[in-house]
Amino acid sequence: MKESKYSKFFIFQIVLSLATVLAVILPIFLSRVPWPDLARNYLEHNGLRDSGARNLVSAIYLGYRAFDTLGETIVLLVAVSGTISIISHSGLSQAKGFGKGEIKKHTNNSISGFRRTELIDVVTGKLGPIVLIFGLYLMLFGHLSPGGGFQGGVVVASGIVFMALGSKTDSSTWLQETGALAKIEAAGFLFIVLASLSGIPGGFGFFGNPLSSSGASPVISIIVLNTIIGLKVGAGLGFMCIAMLGKVE
Amino acid sequence: MTIIIMILLIVLSLYTLSSRDLLYGVIALSAFSMLSATLFYIFNAPDVAITEAAVGAGVSTVIFAWAIRSTERKDQE
Repeated sequence: MKESKYSKFFIFQIVLSLATVLAVILPIFLSRVPWPDLARNYLEHNGLRDSGARNLVSAIYLGYRAFDTLGETIVLLVAVSGTISIISHSGLSQAKGFGKGEIKKHTNNSISGFRRTELIDVVTGKLGPIVLIFGLYLMLFGHLSPGGGFQGGVVVASGIVFMALGSKTDSSTWLQETGALAKIEAAGFLFIVLASLSGIPGGFGFFGNPLSSSGASPVISIIVLNTIIGLKVGAGLGFMCIAMLGKVE
Repeated sequence: MTIIIMILLIVLSLYTLSSRDLLYGVIALSAFSMLSATLFYIFNAPDVAITEAAVGAGVSTVIFAWAIRSTERKDQE
């Protein structure tokens, strides 16, 4: 009898994982509970008036559920700082500001550790600013159109990476200075905490919107929070990616 | 349209799992993210689609590529 290609244990693993997936998903299809629509109806009728945001998703994550956003930013901050501390202690990164890697600068034949081609130089150098502007648009118009602080920040980080890839080795803008990015990240978190406390003196509680009863439009709070979160996420992820790419000054 | 995208998603994820060259797997994972972003857009969730495209196809691909560059590219048989 021919020997089977996969061992019995491998097949057992696959069957077990499929059974687990079925056990999780099947009750959703089998249950007769009506789809919950209370929150949806409430948001449809009161969301625009409460928050002033036409994009109800940003009204939820910066208005009704702002606590979750605070947790999300803390998780991202911890992830970025952990990654950067591991990178800088391993000495893998050759980026400016990571002491250990700087000594073995120019030991490789290729510049900054990876081969550069004309395609990378031209395409990323020209595309970077456009991606940056798109990220800023997503950030600033998150209350009107799809997007928001987190999405805009990630796109801004992609733009920073593009510009770091596309620029010549001996030139860099201040956007690629790791010190400036780290300062933006830290200041962003400080401003998030300050903005979350700003509702307390008026009696709206933690993360309460201080503008919700005054004459000003309550949407200003969402715009400010979107901008801060976008800058923070963009700076943090861009910092991490530049440290990984090992950009040499 | 939805069915085609879902079948492609399954094919891409199987290819990602089974490819011995990790760089091919990462590129397939990036394509997976783009396709699922399209799926989210079809299902009227543009916010999630933007997040998926930016995080899945953009930043995580850069991070995976960096990890492959600093370790081994080929999987050991």
